[in-house]
Amino acid sequence: MKPAPLDHVRATGLDHAIETLVAAGEDAKILAGGQSLVPLLAMRLAQPTTLVDLGGLRELDYIRDDGDTLEIGAMTRSRTVETSPVVAGAVPLLPAALRYVGHVTIRNRGTIGGSAAHADPAAEVPSVLRALDAELIASGPRGPRTIAARDFFDSFLLTTLEPDEILTAIRIPRQPSGSVVAVEEFARRHGDFALVAVLGAAHIDSSGRIAEVRISIAGAAPTPVRADAAERLLVGRTPTPELVRAAAAAASDATDPGSDIHAPADYRRTLATVLTRRCLTRLVADTERTEAA
Amino acid sequence: MSTPTRTGRNVSMTVNGEAVDRHVDPRRTLSDFLRKDCGATGVHVGCEHGVCGACTVLLDGRTARSCCTLAVQAEGSEITTVEGLADGGELHPLQEAFWKHHGLQCGFCTPGILLTVTELLAGNPDPTDDEIREGISGNICRCTGYQFIVDAVRDAAEILRGTGTGTGTGTGTDPTR
Amino acid sequence: MTSQQLPPGLIGARTRRKEDPRLLTGRAQFVDDVVLPGMLEAAVLRSPHPHARISSIDISAALTVPGVFAVLTGHEVRDACATPQPVVWRMIPDQRMTDQYALAVDKVRYVGQPVAVVAATDRYVAEDALGHIEVEYEVLDPVVTLDDALAADAPLLYEDWPDNVSCRQTIPKGDAATAFAEADVVVTETLTYGRQMGAPLETRGAVMSWDPFTDHLECWMSTQSPNLTRDLLGEVLGLPVDHIRVRTPHVGGGFGNKFDFYAEEVLAALLSKRTGRPVKIIEDRLESFVANAHSREQRIEVSVAAKADGTITGMRGTVWAVLGGQLATVGIGPCWLSMALMAGPYDIPNVEATVVGVVTNRSPYGSYRGWGQPKANFAHERIIEKLAHELGLPANDVRRRNLIPADKFPYPSQVFYYDSGNYADCLDMAENAVAERGWRKRCDAASNEGRALGVGYSFHIEISALGPSKIMNQAGLQHSSFDEEVVRIDSAGGVTVRTGLSAMGQGIETALAQVAAHTLGVPLDSVTVLHGDTQTNPFTGYGTGASRGAALGGGALLRASTRLRDKVLRIAGHVLEASPDDLEIADGVISVKGAPGGPSITMRDIGDAAYRRLDGKLPDGEDPTLEERDVLDPDNVAFSYGTTAVLVEVDRETGRVDVLDYLLVHDCGTVINPMIVDGQLHGGATQGIGGALYEEIVYSPEGQPLTTTFMDYLIPTATEIPRFETLHMTTTADHIPGGFKGMGEAGTIGAASAITAAIEDALPDLTLHLARLPVSPPRLLDAIDVATASKENS
Repeated sequence: MKPAPLDHVRATGLDHAIETLVAAGEDAKILAGGQSLVPLLAMRLAQPTTLVDLGGLRELDYIRDDGDTLEIGAMTRSRTVETSPVVAGAVPLLPAALRYVGHVTIRNRGTIGGSAAHADPAAEVPSVLRALDAELIASGPRGPRTIAARDFFDSFLLTTLEPDEILTAIRIPRQPSGSVVAVEEFARRHGDFALVAVLGAAHIDSSGRIAEVRISIAGAAPTPVRADAAERLLVGRTPTPELVRAAAAAASDATDPGSDIHAPADYRRTLATVLTRRCLTRLVADTERTEAA
Repeated sequence: MSTPTRTGRNVSMTVNGEAVDRHVDPRRTLSDFLRKDCGATGVHVGCEHGVCGACTVLLDGRTARSCCTLAVQAEGSEITTVEGLADGGELHPLQEAFWKHHGLQCGFCTPGILLTVTELLAGNPDPTDDEIREGISGNICRCTGYQFIVDAVRDAAEILRGTGTGTGTGTGTDPTR
Repeated sequence: MTSQQLPPGLIGARTRRKEDPRLLTGRAQFVDDVVLPGMLEAAVLRSPHPHARISSIDISAALTVPGVFAVLTGHEVRDACATPQPVVWRMIPDQRMTDQYALAVDKVRYVGQPVAVVAATDRYVAEDALGHIEVEYEVLDPVVTLDDALAADAPLLYEDWPDNVSCRQTIPKGDAATAFAEADVVVTETLTYGRQMGAPLETRGAVMSWDPFTDHLECWMSTQSPNLTRDLLGEVLGLPVDHIRVRTPHVGGGFGNKFDFYAEEVLAALLSKRTGRPVKIIEDRLESFVANAHSREQRIEVSVAAKADGTITGMRGTVWAVLGGQLATVGIGPCWLSMALMAGPYDIPNVEATVVGVVTNRSPYGSYRGWGQPKANFAHERIIEKLAHELGLPANDVRRRNLIPADKFPYPSQVFYYDSGNYADCLDMAENAVAERGWRKRCDAASNEGRALGVGYSFHIEISALGPSKIMNQAGLQHSSFDEEVVRIDSAGGVTVRTGLSAMGQGIETALAQVAAHTLGVPLDSVTVLHGDTQTNPFTGYGTGASRGAALGGGALLRASTRLRDKVLRIAGHVLEASPDDLEIADGVISVKGAPGGPSITMRDIGDAAYRRLDGKLPDGEDPTLEERDVLDPDNVAFSYGTTAVLVEVDRETGRVDVLDYLLVHDCGTVINPMIVDGQLHGGATQGIGGALYEEIVYSPEGQPLTTTFMDYLIPTATEIPRFETLHMTTTADHIPGGFKGMGEAGTIGAASAITAAIEDALPDLTLHLARLPVSPPRLLDAIDVATASKENS
């Protein structure tokens, strides 16, 4: 388990990184935190000729809150995002989900951009971005462009980034104040990739109706799943156990899970139902508690 | 050691307080670099894919899997391995606690666990047992069943907080002391 | 029952371990830390096919890779070896042997079988070169599962065999046919135990240095069995054993996986011979999942005949052993033991048990802690639970009715004599402890909240202190199983113990030091234990396994130390002008009993008198020096035993099982260090929990292994494992000096049985008979669905 021969270029700036990527051609790979890529190198499942190392790009390591939108540089470490009060205030779903990403040691090195660009459908970050309608900013030789999360995740481990593009930032709209969030994740061991995870955020108005709700599901399709139909069932309604059950069924219907050694597809579909119900139940219960307080 | 098959690179970093400058193959993992080029054989390689935690080191004060980090990525950083924990001939209180509570058997996972716990206690000086278990859940121990590790961490936390003698639980009298 | 009660002292003390400071500071040496001048590193090319003929191998391109020194293929290895890879356990005389070499010759029979090997300047380059070896295969139909292998038209792994069955043996006791014919009730179960492995955190490895001028081989190996390894290397390589020196640094976990003798050590030796340089070979984690011995996978058909009151009158069972593509070092051994111990702790007069060894295109089946016993336990404990359910009795009542009574020891089982035990007391103690801890109340309280908690028990026995060499030879072991220990007091009174056992985390240095210090009356710190070198240390038969180190090593050392103590007292008596019988030793000082402040002499003085300034001190007729050796080849094995009780929570909607509490009541005779014993129980139980709920090596229907990383092979972490509580009884092994029994495997044996029983207890409204391990969440959810449907239909 040793990486195949490769060249390594430590990018000195974004332009340098893009130039190197273009010059190295299709067999180049971008190295962010390395937590997914270096094991793939060691297994020789990835054998890039050149690694373009973004590790020195301080310009991509930032968290900015402009009031409406939170922008996070792609090279910001997951642990930094997870523990940032700014992030917790603007998009509480993100730190809630990041706690399920591997272990602290992984999050110390892994980056938010790396996790998004790796596009593992069982990973938490892509699901958060789908749930919150984030935008992803990419730069390439043709300049920067913005990609909606819904258009970004293409398939299993595939995104719509061009081979010569680098993900530089993600932008997440601020969640309405008073939002509640809940993550229900089922993994075999703490820190493992989810068999299925359901990420939910809701805003419940003063009359007890669901003003806004966002649900996304990880591990249940080749890309993160946004449970639009379930959200439509819920919005504007006062939650009841029956409604929550109906929404959970609708969420599960939106999934398209595969089978692997850890669980068959049917089991994942069952999990999607159960976890969505539990997630929504928590969101509602949290609200009741908050309002009582 | 490995033949630089591509362009070798110079890397500089500090390993347990000593400045290190080496020419390395860019594909060399930090774990191999520390073990073979710096003599830090307390860095143990258990899986080389970032699951077992045996290779955990402190990189600029935070834990990192040295098998999932290339040596070139650690350019300019400060590394602490298990060899850097004790102070001269004096064991670190964490090491003492692991000794006292039988928090290790074969010892292969131990360096990674000690460094993981160092970070855990720096951020949370008084963890509950559940927090300790979650904190070390990225480190596989195949020998101990974890309980005596948890006991050791709880005891070490108490000593490091300076709030007790760290008598803890789970041990009896020690006639050798 | 504790007739070998030792006086209080270091035996029985919770001392800190002597090995720990170096392990805690990174100073301990493991095999991958060994670096020799000019050393090369090797990598193995492994078969990507489960079953194929090798048409051709072209190594020419690999040889041109800069930094590559040598490449070997199967034919060269066969020509260089005096024998095929050895099989040391040959219990079944007419067993068909597989006789394979360290590299495949002509045919591969499992994914991962070594096909070629490269030595290069380092592992990076060696792996580069693997990509340049061209192998052409003629792919054959694979035989992936037991049923595939037994099918009438199954492809044959070995074309000169009539089928894929390597061996079959039935061992009867009494008359099972009559017992079944006359039974009030007969219950039957078919169980499937998943394929698992020990997976020590340090993978296997060796450094081999072959001196071309003298044909001496220096080996550094992470092995549990250094003397056996030396003998087997000698056989395979055609070298006299005095040309082979095996050094064993710290072993980063063994769990049986490092008992076995593998291809890689032979390959590194041959590469060293070819290149004239030392060669290191370290298995990486991916390789470990195909190259390390697999274990556990069996199908077990078991049935019991009983009276209406729960008395079991007969047992029948068949162990279908899912062997791999070739026999591992221990052959049918572990599966044979599953058969031989199927009646477990129960006094069953009529038993008829069979083992059938079947080859498949999977990795070889070898040693893993527990060695057949977790499966035997699963068989007898599952069938007890099912019988109890059938009769409407509490399972522990059925256990109690059938446990071997204390006055029946030594008890003749199907094969072995069980030495001693108070089984019923052990079960009572566990039930009482569970009652005191209020587990049932917790279940009831949880039930009121709609949660499902349950309590389960199992009773296990563990063969230990292996064993009487001649009897083991008769059973088929092609090696001995005694233990030799040497103890020496030096010229300054320091004590050195030399042992052939390996230090693999079980604390053998500390345990032996405690025995020597206790017996000689010296401080623990004055004892040094040397291990890990066949050239300078004594011979241990078998190896560091079979829960034998503390019992046999401890017993031999106790006898040697006792004789050495006698000599010390004779010298002291001479100097102090007292009768040796009137002297005592405490903390390294010899003085007259009951005369505090009287004349005394230190161990340092005794050392001086025996080595340096003898005149006037060493009695006439005493030889200078202070050394004793002892060999313990016991009359019998020993049997430790215990009760496991677990409290689990089941999530009915997801099938998830959480182990909330775990209690072990255990008896391993005299305990040398309770802290170490508890650590062994915790660690074994953790592996047992892994085997019950998490760990399984999975193959695709095409024969490809799908669990080749720690992301897929789920070793439990601290968040999946509960707190353990242990309680101890002491029933000594009276045929072992000191009364030690040994217990290294205990924790693994009863875990799955107790956990499955607890899961069933948590779902009292359903009739579940869990028969397949591990109980993964999808499997449990399926079982719940089936049981729910059956309830609704009835």
